[in-house]
Amino acid sequence: MPETEIIVHDILIVGAGLAGSWAAMVAAKQGVQDVAVLSKIHPLRSHSGAAQGGIAGALNNVRPVAGGGPDGPLEQIPAGDAPIDSVDLHVFDTIKGSDWLGDQDAIEIMCREAIDVLYEYEHMGCVFSRTPDGRIAQRRFGGHSTPRANYAADWTGHVLLHTIHEQALRHKVKFYNEWYCMDLIIEDNVCRGVVAMDVLQGKIYTMRAKAVLFGTGGYGRAYKITSNAFANTGDGVAIAYNAGIPLMDMEFVQFHPTGLYKHGILMSEACRGEGGYLLNNKHERFMERYAKGKMELAPRDLVSRSEQQEIDEGRGVEADGQGIWLDLRHLGREKIMERLPQVRELAIDFVGVDPIDGLVPIQPTAHYSMGGIAADADGQVIADLAGTPVVGFYAAGEAACISVHGANRLGTNSLLDASVFGRRAGYAMARFVQNGAALQPVSGDPAQRSRARVQALLDNPGTELVEDVAQDLKTTMTNNCGIFRDEARLQQAMREIKVLQARFKNARTMDKSSRFNTDLLATLEADHMLTFSEVIVAGALARQESRGAHSRTDFPQRDDDRWLVHTMAHKNGADGPQLSFKPVTIDYDKYPPQERKY
Amino acid sequence: MSNPSTHPTATVRIQRFNPETDAKPHMQEFQVELKPGVTVLDALHEIKTHQDGSLTFRRSCRHAICGSCAMHVNGKNELVCNAPLKDRLDRNGRITIRPLPYLPIIKDLVVDRSSFWEQYLRVKPWLMPPADTPEKEFRMSPEEVAALNSAETCIMCGACYSSCQIVGLTKEYIGPHALLKAFLRVMDPRDAIPGARLADLDGADGVYRCRTIFNCIDACPKNLNPTLAIETLRKLAQKREAFEQARIERQKHLDEPIPAR
Ligand SMILES: Cc1cc2nc3c(=O)[nH]c(=O)nc-3n(C[C@H](O)[C@H](O)[C@H](O)COP(=O)(O)OP(=O)(O)OC[C@H]3O[C@@H](n4cnc5c(N)ncnc54)[C@H](O)[C@@H]3O)c2cc1C
Ligand code: SF4
Ligand code: FES
Repeated sequence: MPETEIIVHDILIVGAGLAGSWAAMVAAKQGVQDVAVLSKIHPLRSHSGAAQGGIAGALNNVRPVAGGGPDGPLEQIPAGDAPIDSVDLHVFDTIKGSDWLGDQDAIEIMCREAIDVLYEYEHMGCVFSRTPDGRIAQRRFGGHSTPRANYAADWTGHVLLHTIHEQALRHKVKFYNEWYCMDLIIEDNVCRGVVAMDVLQGKIYTMRAKAVLFGTGGYGRAYKITSNAFANTGDGVAIAYNAGIPLMDMEFVQFHPTGLYKHGILMSEACRGEGGYLLNNKHERFMERYAKGKMELAPRDLVSRSEQQEIDEGRGVEADGQGIWLDLRHLGREKIMERLPQVRELAIDFVGVDPIDGLVPIQPTAHYSMGGIAADADGQVIADLAGTPVVGFYAAGEAACISVHGANRLGTNSLLDASVFGRRAGYAMARFVQNGAALQPVSGDPAQRSRARVQALLDNPGTELVEDVAQDLKTTMTNNCGIFRDEARLQQAMREIKVLQARFKNARTMDKSSRFNTDLLATLEADHMLTFSEVIVAGALARQESRGAHSRTDFPQRDDDRWLVHTMAHKNGADGPQLSFKPVTIDYDKYPPQERKY
Repeated sequence: MSNPSTHPTATVRIQRFNPETDAKPHMQEFQVELKPGVTVLDALHEIKTHQDGSLTFRRSCRHAICGSCAMHVNGKNELVCNAPLKDRLDRNGRITIRPLPYLPIIKDLVVDRSSFWEQYLRVKPWLMPPADTPEKEFRMSPEEVAALNSAETCIMCGACYSSCQIVGLTKEYIGPHALLKAFLRVMDPRDAIPGARLADLDGADGVYRCRTIFNCIDACPKNLNPTLAIETLRKLAQKREAFEQARIERQKHLDEPIPAR
């Protein structure tokens, strides 16, 4: 066996989306000399760049024109006029959106610091759209009671990601691009580093650090139809879980109502914001039956459920009846060209329909992972219900569950979550290192396990193709643990996952080379998906209620008496996840649980 | 594949090369089903997952925003993720895919973009803000923002860079992508060092290397115009001091509302 080369840094960050890049930039700016980031794809390819709509924050730059109604035009708030928005209102909208499962202390921090984070982005060079008097432009977004989605045209995530990456470079953060993290080194509840592979050479290294952060993004790829990038395979979540770290609220997966049929690619919420209709195969605007007041603009979970019900009751469109029509024709050519140019291009490119004169087939698409690695508002990962810190280990962004989104995330709150808590984690790690944290010893050769794992995969002569196992997983997750769930289907999903885990042991990696082996990466990613999917299903089975994005047809009501709690899942050997339940932080005087009505 | 299909097939010709094992690149043909709505990336993915797992390429977002998947398709650089396969087939139902030109090949369709990123770093892509920061945002007019739109949407895919004959001749040239980034910073009223930037770009490897061959414009999947940005930088470099002075003046008012017109 070759000896493992060891790389040492003060702070090591896995993931270069908004969460990871903020943490790295801040720690470096605070004077930590040796900050490194590793990312399995180039940082600028991270999925944060795909976000279109905006990033939330109560800046009070615009307001609805008086008398224009709830969907009417917006105008800048003249200097001296009363504000319409507040941190408190943002907090309340987020709590309501979360169906009261979000931790209210963390939500308060996020909404308060939003303002600071937005100005910092602006000062760092982010090119936001502007109001006539030069302030950051804002638009409406679902579930927010005021126009507080701060935006840069329809490429908001792109400009945020480029800005923060540039600043990390400016502050001399070291990047390991196209390095794949495989393992987390934790002994005695102290994190000591990670094991990672340089994809180019196929070589595995032990990377030691005083503090490690996971900003590895979401896990939407476990579903057949998803808006997520290929990279969103939940690696960090699975790696942490395998290392004994608890995952929280994994059963909450958000489905966006308008993914392109079969592709899942997102048609922005702006389609409905601008007045688009949803039609079934009888050309009825079926939202009338589900949310007469808000129609197509009801919150995401509700609209997705309504679509699915139409589909399940045989009123879907396309040959397999799995689609719904998105009708933009009445908006007219001009409005479509001006407000929804990207969306139009996507429809033409992917389903061959020009929305100006055609109906666009769409379907609900897996979009956002509310659950993740359990952490506090400094990104400090916790080991148990008591909140015992895992020393030196941090998590932020979509990979983490802090928990600000609870059972359902509001649009534009996740770019904010990744930014605010990435930043806070950066400060926390800098304090930790500057207060004298030492590099902790590692026993033995921690890379040994990963090397053996890779060798076993490459040597496996199996008869299965990894892709077929992965596809079957996605199918069962979609059919049995998707928008609607019930005991029987979830049991079915659990059985199938066990079978798939066994089939995976007989799956072969076709590429046997060491150089840039993306086939091997796909195999590792499939392994990770099989790992965390079991946790999603276990949580969904246990949670006998319907709340936010988790909808049990056999338990259709929210049940605060029994289920106003977070699900924590620990790995329990081969027995699968062991669940325990953590109280939600609620300020009963200020934001007591209410019925969630729109 | 086992079940007989009713779909016509497409022939995908791909340039293969693993420098560790192959003496030189060679072409290989694969057949894929031409199902409706299939993109070129879908075809590559189908080949990789079901026919030959060693076929290597980069991809992530699937909708033309991450910049991973630029390749040389039928003699032209483009993103493969939003390219419909059927539109790329010749009369014989064939498509030819090669890696981006002028760059070292890592494996198959994956190229080494090191020089591309080095040039990006060289222009200091980050904003250098003024010493004083206001409590709230710097004020920028919608027009000042619009002037940046033609640069800020660059996804750093490298399609322009690797279509540029000057890049083919010398990797010392800063290149269209990095010059476009430099343009973004120079034009931004919040940037405090436009003079220094222009002085740097004015050298032999900078704006004067461009021979206005326009390949970059044809290649750009985001319809950006690096050539125009380079020409603008050239003009600004000629009146650098006046431009710097105007920036200093502008920055005195960065925290004031844009006056109504
Ligand atoms: C199409 C789309 C549109 C969206 N629009 C909006 C919006 O308008 N507003 C909003 O607020 N939110 C939006 N979201 C959600 C939001 O974009 C994400 O939640 C957020 O960007 C996540 O950021 P992140 O930093 O946590 O992760 P990502 O940006 O996903 O980054 C993850 C990083 O981890 C790295 N990584 C992962 N695994 C490994 C590994 N094993 N080894 C090494 N590196 C690894 C990746 O390379 C990457 O750099 C949207 C999401 C989608 C899918
Ligand atoms: S200018 Fe266009 S072609 Fe060049 S890197 Fe940017 S997006 Fe790609
Ligand atoms: S996969 Fe992201 S641009 Fe093509």
